[in-house]
Amino acid sequence: MDTQPPSTDLSAVILAGGKSSRMGKAKALLPFDGKPLITHLVNRLAQRFADIVVVAAPDQTLPALPVTVVSDEVAHQGPVGGICYGLQAIRGTAAFVTSCDVAFLQLPFIEYLTSLLKNYDVVVPFWQERLQPLHAVYRHSVIPRLQEQLAHKRLRPIFLYDTVPTRKVSPEEIKRFDPEGLSFLNMNTEADYQDALARWRTLYPPVSCTVELFGVARLKANTTQFPLILPTEATLEDALAALAAACPQLVGPVLSSDEAGYPTLLSGYACNINGKLFIKDAHTPIQAGDSLLILSSDAGG
Amino acid sequence: MYGFYGRLLHIDLTAQAYDWRDIEEARLQAFLGGIGLGTSLLYDFTPPDVEPFSPTNPLIFTSAPLVGTGLTTTAKYAVVTKSPLTGFIADSLSSSFFALELKRTGLDAIVVTGRAAQPIYLWITDNTVEFRDARHVWGKSPQETEAAIRNTLQDSEIRIAAIGQAGENRVRFATLSNEGRHAGRGGIGAVFGSKNLKAVALRGHHLTAVADKDGVEKIARALRERSVGPETAKYREIGTVANLSVFNRLGSLPTRNFQQATFSHAEALSGETLVANSFSRVHGCASCTIRCERLFRSMSGNEQRLEYETLFALGPLCGIEQPEDVLQAARLCDLYGLDTISTGGTLAWAMECTEKGLLPEARDAGLTFGNADAVLTTITDIANRKGLGELLAEGSRRAAAQIGTAAEFFAIQVKGMELPGYEPRSLKTMALGLAVSPRGACHNRSGAYEADFSGQVDRLQADAGRGALVVSSEDFAAVLDSLIVCKFLRKCFDDFYSESAILLSHVTGWQFSSTDLKRAGERINTLKKLFNMRAGWQPGDDWLPPRLLNEPLSSGVAQGVRLTPDELRIMIQGYYAARGWDKDGFVPEGKKRELGL
Repeated sequence: MDTQPPSTDLSAVILAGGKSSRMGKAKALLPFDGKPLITHLVNRLAQRFADIVVVAAPDQTLPALPVTVVSDEVAHQGPVGGICYGLQAIRGTAAFVTSCDVAFLQLPFIEYLTSLLKNYDVVVPFWQERLQPLHAVYRHSVIPRLQEQLAHKRLRPIFLYDTVPTRKVSPEEIKRFDPEGLSFLNMNTEADYQDALARWRTLYPPVSCTVELFGVARLKANTTQFPLILPTEATLEDALAALAAACPQLVGPVLSSDEAGYPTLLSGYACNINGKLFIKDAHTPIQAGDSLLILSSDAGG
Repeated sequence: MYGFYGRLLHIDLTAQAYDWRDIEEARLQAFLGGIGLGTSLLYDFTPPDVEPFSPTNPLIFTSAPLVGTGLTTTAKYAVVTKSPLTGFIADSLSSSFFALELKRTGLDAIVVTGRAAQPIYLWITDNTVEFRDARHVWGKSPQETEAAIRNTLQDSEIRIAAIGQAGENRVRFATLSNEGRHAGRGGIGAVFGSKNLKAVALRGHHLTAVADKDGVEKIARALRERSVGPETAKYREIGTVANLSVFNRLGSLPTRNFQQATFSHAEALSGETLVANSFSRVHGCASCTIRCERLFRSMSGNEQRLEYETLFALGPLCGIEQPEDVLQAARLCDLYGLDTISTGGTLAWAMECTEKGLLPEARDAGLTFGNADAVLTTITDIANRKGLGELLAEGSRRAAAQIGTAAEFFAIQVKGMELPGYEPRSLKTMALGLAVSPRGACHNRSGAYEADFSGQVDRLQADAGRGALVVSSEDFAAVLDSLIVCKFLRKCFDDFYSESAILLSHVTGWQFSSTDLKRAGERINTLKKLFNMRAGWQPGDDWLPPRLLNEPLSSGVAQGVRLTPDELRIMIQGYYAARGWDKDGFVPEGKKRELGL
């Protein structure tokens, strides 16, 4: 786990308002790695960006997320509209912009892209013979140009690159970070989705850990310990969600759901990893082989 | 006056005389009640060089402003004296109906001095005191004594606190007992015995008046509701015995006289197993919605209360593996009125003496780790000061001093008081709390372990910052113990100081702020230190026994972890600095003035 603090100067924008017509269902909510795809993306990006904006279609359903949600002012204007509305809502001076149907974002690569921004207004990768406008970095200052494009119905992002200083990132550069171009692997059909899931499981096999229950939790669950299978890069939040699913008796007396629908430990309970570390932060990573101890937070008596 | 009566009863057992005296409002405001008021009165009533068993050593009962208000968990009283175990302050709490009855007598405190010529008990009502012959109950257990006195006085509403044979025989860790609960630590029962005082019987008719009844009731209702929520589930569903399995897993369960921090039979002794296999019924103190007490049924059919400290001390600490044996040992301690922690600690010390070939009498008594029969026999001998019991009745520090340096190495005590069930080497904040606590190794007058068990700090590391944590924990405990509110309610407050300041203001009609209460906590703890300084406290008294500073942990998740003398010294310096005391731990004049002491 990289512990570099999230950037406060740079933001991230996720375009989630697409029609998903070939998929036939909302891509943002596709279950992926134990949670909705959009949540997966937000969690990943939150490791680098303190400010995340999600651009949604009006009335689009989203899980509760620690992000700013904005709606397309005029629906379905394509990526230019989404990028423009997203950039308008950011707190930083520039943003990494992505769509919501990419599961394999590579943070070191994204960092490389933002590092190239210095003398440019846009940094955009060139992969498989085409520019990748929805995996690119845009300065806030390009908003007027995008508005102009919208006004003239010039809805393809690449028109922007001819009018502002744009750094195109070559495949050779990209391969240093992402040899297979996983960053650009999006999902437009059910088959894409299934392929992505399979590829994810190969790349990131599930984490096997153990839950040990003490005190009231043990009495309620009527068991001392059991194995728990978690997604790769799982956090305490994922572990508690898996625990709630495996042991519904604990929901109520020991676990509750927070606003985002993720179970949290009730006050009065604590989690310790391997008998050593007490953890409270829902985003603490869980590693293979960990033992998660659920116990009373009160040692008195 | 609301919440208080502004009145104490002074009883001289030698002269069989008594009088009622006023307590100044300023004293009540500065020290509240319970432990705080007890400390304040103890300081004033104790001659500086008094020996704990001297007739002039006062025994002081105190009530508190929240007692009798109907607020959950507040039926508690304090009893304070100079400890025969430590030579410093002994301040113990007990609870339930005796506490309510004390308040009903219209008193904030009872101060007992002198020594009766023969065994007596005190029979106290609203405005009478009788010195009654106790020869017929001398030698009886506290429970038998309660029944006999109630029968004699022909009033089922009478509440009685009594000592057992251990107190009569001045076992230095004898308890005072009421309704099966104990003012357990520090040998208060032995001071009773030294005064030929078997029991105190109370019957009162006063009702606690509060200044703002609606205000109190509103807070009382909220606390009552919260007291049955998840914050107290551990206490309500398992009791404190729930600690054992957790402490074992965290490498913090003192085992075989602190030679190990895990116990191979922890699962069999765990609270979860006890509740599943031996649970008999739940019991609670008067005025309590939490009801933390668990009674377990032994094979012989007896019901036995069991708390974590008893379970640890008479179980893993002595290498005892079977729950049945622990229940039997606990029953004997209750019967004789013995502090189970010091009993277990002293027995474990003797067992290690056998292991090391240092104490032939212990070897002859069969006192080896895990020998339950020898434990049961020796407990009886301790209570009667018979054979090896004569030595062990002195507690591990004095006993070890008689054997020699080699045995002192593994007498696991601070200031003479045996350690509770928290392994200091894997709980570094607690290590500091145990070292500096005014009454000796104590887990009640501070809850320093809480920082270790919450992840607030790295429990395996030491640093000077622990000083401030221990100070805040001690002051918090002092306020809880003086209002009095049970510690098991502590997580039910969002902001304890401001909420309890409002509550206390509603009860008394005097205006308290959260700063006033924090200040009171500091004042109480500082006065305890001043009492100890006057009793001869020296910097070396704030220290841990050699084993804990020389041997690494030999088992569990913290295997190999040490606590070095330097680490302890750094933490202690941090503590003195946070207290505003000098670098040797003495209280400067300026600090006394600042606190009005």
